[in-house]
Amino acid sequence: MARQIRNAVTLVVDGREVVAPEGSMLVDAAKGGDVEIPVFCYEPKLGEPVGACRMCLVEIEGIPKLQTACSTPVRDGMVVYTQSERAREAQNAVVEFLLVNHPLDCPVCDKGGECPLQDIAMGWGPGKSRMRDPKRHFRKPLELSPLIAIDRERCILCYRCVRFSQEVAEDEQLQLLERGDRSFVGTFEERPYVAPFHGNIIELCPVGALTSYTYRFRARPWDIEDAGTVCTLCPSQCNIKVTVRDEHVMRVLARDNAEVDDGWLCDKGRFGYQMIAAEDRITEPMARAGDGSLKAIAWEEALARIAKGLEAAGAESAVIAGGGATNEEGWLLQEIFRGALGSPHLACSPSSPDPGLLRRLSSPRLAAKTAHIDFADAILLVGCDPLNESPILDLRIRKAMRRNGARLLVAGERPTTLDGGAEQACRYKPGDATAFLSALAAELGADGFEAGGPHAEPAASAAATLKGAGDAVIVWGERLWRTPGAVEALAAIADALGLDASHGAGMLEVPESANGRGLREVGLLPGAGPGLAEAPAGRDAAGIRAGLAGDEIQAALLFDANPVRDYPQSADWAAALKSAGFLVSVSMFDDESAKFADIVLPLESYAEKEGVVTHPDGRLQRVRRGIEVPDGIRPGWRWLLDLSAALGNELEPDSQPQVWDAVADSVELYNAISLEDIGGTGLRWQDHQLAAAFEEGAGAAPGGGGGGGAPPRRGGGRPPRLRGGLRRNPPAMRPSA
Amino acid sequence: VGETRLLFRNIDEPGLSSIDTYKRLGGYQSLHKAFTEMDPDVLLRELEESGLRGRGGAGFSMGKKASFLPRGEMDKYLCCNADESEPGAFKDRELMQKNPHQLIEGIAIACLAADITRAFIFIRGEYALQADILDAAVAEAYDAGFLGDDILGSGHSLALVVHRGAGAYICGEETALLDALEGKRGNPRLKPPFPAVQGLYGGPTLINNVETLSNVPGIAANGAEWFKGFGTEQSPGTKVVSISGQVKRPGNYEVELGVPVRMLIEELAGGIAEDRELKCFFPGGSSSPILTAEEGLDKPYSFEAMAEAGSMLGSGSIIVCDETTSIVELALRTARFYHHESCGKCSPCREGTNWTVKMLERVLLAEATPIDLDLITAVQANITGNCLCVLGDSMAAPVSAMVAKFRPEFEEAIERATLKAAA
Repeated sequence: MARQIRNAVTLVVDGREVVAPEGSMLVDAAKGGDVEIPVFCYEPKLGEPVGACRMCLVEIEGIPKLQTACSTPVRDGMVVYTQSERAREAQNAVVEFLLVNHPLDCPVCDKGGECPLQDIAMGWGPGKSRMRDPKRHFRKPLELSPLIAIDRERCILCYRCVRFSQEVAEDEQLQLLERGDRSFVGTFEERPYVAPFHGNIIELCPVGALTSYTYRFRARPWDIEDAGTVCTLCPSQCNIKVTVRDEHVMRVLARDNAEVDDGWLCDKGRFGYQMIAAEDRITEPMARAGDGSLKAIAWEEALARIAKGLEAAGAESAVIAGGGATNEEGWLLQEIFRGALGSPHLACSPSSPDPGLLRRLSSPRLAAKTAHIDFADAILLVGCDPLNESPILDLRIRKAMRRNGARLLVAGERPTTLDGGAEQACRYKPGDATAFLSALAAELGADGFEAGGPHAEPAASAAATLKGAGDAVIVWGERLWRTPGAVEALAAIADALGLDASHGAGMLEVPESANGRGLREVGLLPGAGPGLAEAPAGRDAAGIRAGLAGDEIQAALLFDANPVRDYPQSADWAAALKSAGFLVSVSMFDDESAKFADIVLPLESYAEKEGVVTHPDGRLQRVRRGIEVPDGIRPGWRWLLDLSAALGNELEPDSQPQVWDAVADSVELYNAISLEDIGGTGLRWQDHQLAAAFEEGAGAAPGGGGGGGAPPRRGGGRPPRLRGGLRRNPPAMRPSA
Repeated sequence: VGETRLLFRNIDEPGLSSIDTYKRLGGYQSLHKAFTEMDPDVLLRELEESGLRGRGGAGFSMGKKASFLPRGEMDKYLCCNADESEPGAFKDRELMQKNPHQLIEGIAIACLAADITRAFIFIRGEYALQADILDAAVAEAYDAGFLGDDILGSGHSLALVVHRGAGAYICGEETALLDALEGKRGNPRLKPPFPAVQGLYGGPTLINNVETLSNVPGIAANGAEWFKGFGTEQSPGTKVVSISGQVKRPGNYEVELGVPVRMLIEELAGGIAEDRELKCFFPGGSSSPILTAEEGLDKPYSFEAMAEAGSMLGSGSIIVCDETTSIVELALRTARFYHHESCGKCSPCREGTNWTVKMLERVLLAEATPIDLDLITAVQANITGNCLCVLGDSMAAPVSAMVAKFRPEFEEAIERATLKAAA
């Protein structure tokens, strides 16, 4: 469904003139006039208003009864009173009713101090109680799930959690049971509420009825601070706030960003923070002793040994980065390996994208924003299971179908949680992605693809759907690169559908690691340097593995990468890493891959890091430090600069912002975007005014591939901030071996 | 004597619930006429002009409601509200039990007029016998070709399903009925959108009471003018009135709207049992504010006159209370019913009904003071008009009327209970 353009209307709220989009709800429009109308059940993220709590009753001229502002669309010329005597009386009445059965145990309630019920009772309540009858009682607290405690006495039955379960996550497990004032939130036969997004109900709850076992009784709102950052546990890169008390992360909350996460978090992101303070975390440089045990060593010694080991290997060294490695860290790694060591062997995922095709697919006109999914007419999900690879997309695709009638087509080797709601779910055998996509391309009339074959029938029906729909968004998994020819066929499908011609259509690739897109774009690919510029060919991840096993690669560095756990052919990886001449692992834990490392360096968690990551849709986002880095851990950019210098490639930047500036200057796509430009909610590089230039050069190799010196900057915008003497040896100039 | 039997014309005929008897007595001739001779638009206009008002409680013009449905090809529905659950109301029960085909015929004709092809009868779960009878009658009507595809060659089809509710008063509220019919928890929906625009499964939906639809065959056969010949100008037609309480002959009586209340209670129902005095009565079921003998006995029984008297005709159920009735206990019993049936979706009703019950219990338990009577009244005022549907108001209206009209009795009860507790 296409997004509707809405006209502006003017209304008067409490004597203030307010301009708002036609059809927006009064409660939202009033905010434009700085008028707050209290709400409990209203939450636009949950879909249509239900008007259940009755907290937002206001008086509207010409309508005899009071109206719920949450469900009343604004009209031109509307005159609204939120503070008239009648409105005040009704608001007082509703607060009084809500407190009839509320225990008022604020002093011992976790929500106390950050509780909407407290705030609204103070702001809109009668101020004193007339109720002296006994209140209802429930057993409490009860375990709603292993992570959430429910206190039914505090519940004001606003329906938010039940609506989330039924209409957003669609797990349908939470129900309102019984009737009237005996109503309570629960599950069928009191089974535990186990679902991948269930933690969101804690944040939705406007009272202290739903609390998490991980946060309960551990802090009070007046001794905590929230720090905004980005969760880098998966490519969704949800915007979060970490709640900090005494330099410890106490919980993770959503930091609503409609362009990224819609204000939801998955449970892994919400509850995974406990690893930050894990006892077995590596918090200082370690060296592996002969008996396999780790022994702490000084940073200087560690860096000297790493420099020595890598230097000895020279061009026969390799690097694999992954996880939440930032763009700065990725760029510095390629400076060290490509620049200082002259090695072209850089990888950031088990897949091996073709640089030329990757450049073509990076065209801003072909890119879909995450939010484009909301209003897509058709969504083709291929080679990707959002729930496991980028969970928040699962909710977004459900929303597009439920609210806007998007038609979903799923194709993949494995079932996904979205198959049930899909119009068509096609399954192909592992390794058969190319055959399926080629059949689909042929059905769509792409040149060079032949119709027929085992996938002809589902492909024809999928093609009919795609052709019949308006804007299509293709969401695809990076793992398609592992099947030769699959992404070529996908690109042909995009061309045949003309995805580059429409603003609402496009492609969205879900990388295999959190910052997969950023690491590629800063040059951690064999054959593509910063900004996907041409670079000498090298080994991909599988090649590095073979090289390690075959003694052609002498030294390797793993940066937030655990190939034994995450990459295909785990046993081969273990054998390859074991046979490595010199292995460094930068990791939070002595994990499956790190245990083969000679040196293990500690890694900052996402709550401790400063840096920039790139969302799958090209949005640059800042990871911000929420808590102090534990003693003994150095920021990645810091020691990478030192290591680079030790290897003879001394770089000028001397702080994280300076490293970022160097990255933004060096990576053509990032157009010298500053940290200020990125801000708190991020900026897609494609949306930057200079991005159009990439489009023009898309056919040719962008950037200064093979040429000398800095690439020419494109016209318009800010002058480049490229510093003289940024690097001694332009990496692209170095011979590869 | 005093009755005007249109819907009840043959009500005591043995075997009326079978299609043969119904047809022998002239049944399905209206349907025949409507489907073979009448233009649906004319039919709709007749229904509108007849002034037939909804018999379920709200009293909204049935024809006007039908005309709100959008025209054109789409899934449209009719839901017959047979969830008769209001204390004091039992008219639909008799209409369905004894004359189910009249209802089916009315549904079919209404669907023709409003261009609807799918219809449901949502009947309360406790009406098991009536549901069985309806099931049998629907099957007979299908067999006779009065339901199903291409009825009587008119090109109009209709599927009719009898759905049994699970026994909740709230499901008689039209939007809660729709949710329940869709298989959800029976909770009222926010209006707008009104069911005529977006109702069952999101389609335009006409919802009418059993008695309303039972009136349709007569209007289709005889025309709007004939119908307006009965009743008053603003309340045309007849009404089946359920009279219960302390009267000699409780039961259903069909009268022209506008007959004096006194005639209903004293003549048709035979007057107060054991010839005691009338204290008060509910003119339209338990949700209508009570009227005292002076206030209501000599008023015409019509929508407009009952509203003027400060109450309502509602579903047309008179509950009579004689001089021995304790108003305090009556108030508590009324409040308890609505407390029990409140769905819990909106705060004023959920908490207001529960709080009111607790306060009224305190009146009887010697734990109240006269100030609590003011509080009871204030709480009723806070409920009124602030709820999602009318269930909350349905308690607030009668309870506040009782406290207002019989306050001395409440004060006396407080004093009596207090003395008793002290003794």
